Amino acid sequence: MIEIKNLSVKVHEKNILKGVDLEIREGEVHALLGPNASGKSTLAYAIMGFPEYEVTSGEIWFEGKNITNLSIEERAKLGMALAFQNPPSVKGVTLSALLETISKQTSNVKGFPMAFSEILEREINVGFSGGERKFSELVQIISLKPRFVILDEFDAGLDIINLERLTFVMQDKLLCNNVSILLITHRGNILQFLEPDVAHVMLNGKIECNSDNWRKIWRTIMRHGYEKCKKCEFSSSKQ
Amino acid sequence: MKSARNVNFLQVNNEIRRLLAEEGVIILPSSQAYKKLKWTRDHFEMKPEEGYFIWVKKQVIHPLTTCITISSPRISQNPRNLIVVEKNVQAEVHSICNTMKRNLHGSHIGHTKVIVKEQSTLQMKHFHKWEKGDTVGSSLQFHLQKGATLSHVYKCLDVPEKLKTELDSFLDSHSSANIKTAVLAKRGNINMHDSTFLNGEGSSATMRVRMVADQESKIVSHSKMIANNAGIGHLDCMGLLLSEKSSISTAPELMNRNKNATLTHEASVGRIPKGTLNYLRSRGLTEDEAIDLIITGFLGETAFSYKGRVPPSKIHM
Repeated sequence: MIEIKNLSVKVHEKNILKGVDLEIREGEVHALLGPNASGKSTLAYAIMGFPEYEVTSGEIWFEGKNITNLSIEERAKLGMALAFQNPPSVKGVTLSALLETISKQTSNVKGFPMAFSEILEREINVGFSGGERKFSELVQIISLKPRFVILDEFDAGLDIINLERLTFVMQDKLLCNNVSILLITHRGNILQFLEPDVAHVMLNGKIECNSDNWRKIWRTIMRHGYEKCKKCEFSSSKQ
Repeated sequence: MKSARNVNFLQVNNEIRRLLAEEGVIILPSSQAYKKLKWTRDHFEMKPEEGYFIWVKKQVIHPLTTCITISSPRISQNPRNLIVVEKNVQAEVHSICNTMKRNLHGSHIGHTKVIVKEQSTLQMKHFHKWEKGDTVGSSLQFHLQKGATLSHVYKCLDVPEKLKTELDSFLDSHSSANIKTAVLAKRGNINMHDSTFLNGEGSSATMRVRMVADQESKIVSHSKMIANNAGIGHLDCMGLLLSEKSSISTAPELMNRNKNATLTHEASVGRIPKGTLNYLRSRGLTEDEAIDLIITGFLGETAFSYKGRVPPSKIHM
């Protein structure tokens, strides 16, 4: 589905990613863990092709196509989508207007928690609560009918009830349709709900640890912090 | 919007082509109203030769529509209009002033006075559509009596080379006004002045101005909110610049003469944030489509497309 080969990225002349390798197959959920400023969000934006994230070496392949030099919208049209951690406000544009533009049809929030549907006629992310922002991101992404989704700290700002509700929607609308997910997170709850197939730990711009047993990695991080990951014990399944 | 056949007042160039009264509504050319109804003379600054008089005495279900249009070269229009909505009546008026073709080099200087009587409600939509060679001026006055409610939208998305607008609103006690102005200038020079006077206790007004300047345009907007009594007023002036050679100047002014009044304002002028564009591009929209969506929303439009009117390279300054 998506393959990242030896990717190095700089942002405003600062090298952030230093040779990242990652492969996610169809329908797989991968968790990307790591301390603040380790480069997780940079990887997300670089995969989506944001212009400020300059690829200095390496390649990104999506469904057999080298997309390293494609624009953001070309990647989105190929089936890639990103749920932003802090999406910007779009004044004057209602969520329903954007959804209709995306999907070329009337917005449909069937299957979503009812409590959120009232934000459809509000300006995107203007005065949205944490939960409303996440609902907005998820409903936009589902409208795109993606093949691969990056969730950048989707659980931040969500209470446990809404997290469970929205991950249920993800399972129903994404995982049941064999969509691949890269889940960037700091927290264990979303891992329990989505049960990733593989977990990775990113430290200082590199993926230092990969395992198909996310619970082991999570336990280690909980007990010893990310320092322990520098001497990875679980890299037998390293990709 | 009604079709041209059902327009209540249609003036083409300097000639009245259609005048369609409704039950409970008197519609006359302003010149006749001035002659027949002496009380109207207090409301015309001078003897009118063009324009319409609409007197809404009973509620009408559908909007009353007026259209003043230029279809021949070098026409000069000077309509003086008067709209009166009687007590406890709800009315809706759609007013269109436009040119039919390019290169007619017309002149349209319109004066409209609107009286919304006690406890009545008026929704008014005022649309302008011009070509580059036209010269346009618009002066509009609203007088809201006790408990009256006004919702007014003015839009000009095809501006002439020079457009000057003046809008004065006078609010008696417990009346309220919600006024929106949206202009999109492409190689245009726009000068807008509006003043809202909160004269009565409990009066309230919101004035929203949305300006988009593209391709060597200049927009100057002066908005003033004056509290002469205990009312609430808010000014909201926002501008979007789409080209390096355009400018927007906005000067919201608050004048409070009553300690129990509350006046607020907010204003901003800037370009479309790059982060917002990239966010929409990540939803599969091209840069042009993203700009289209943002401008459409900014101007409060639903069936309007800016697509293709501006090359993306013009956006980033």
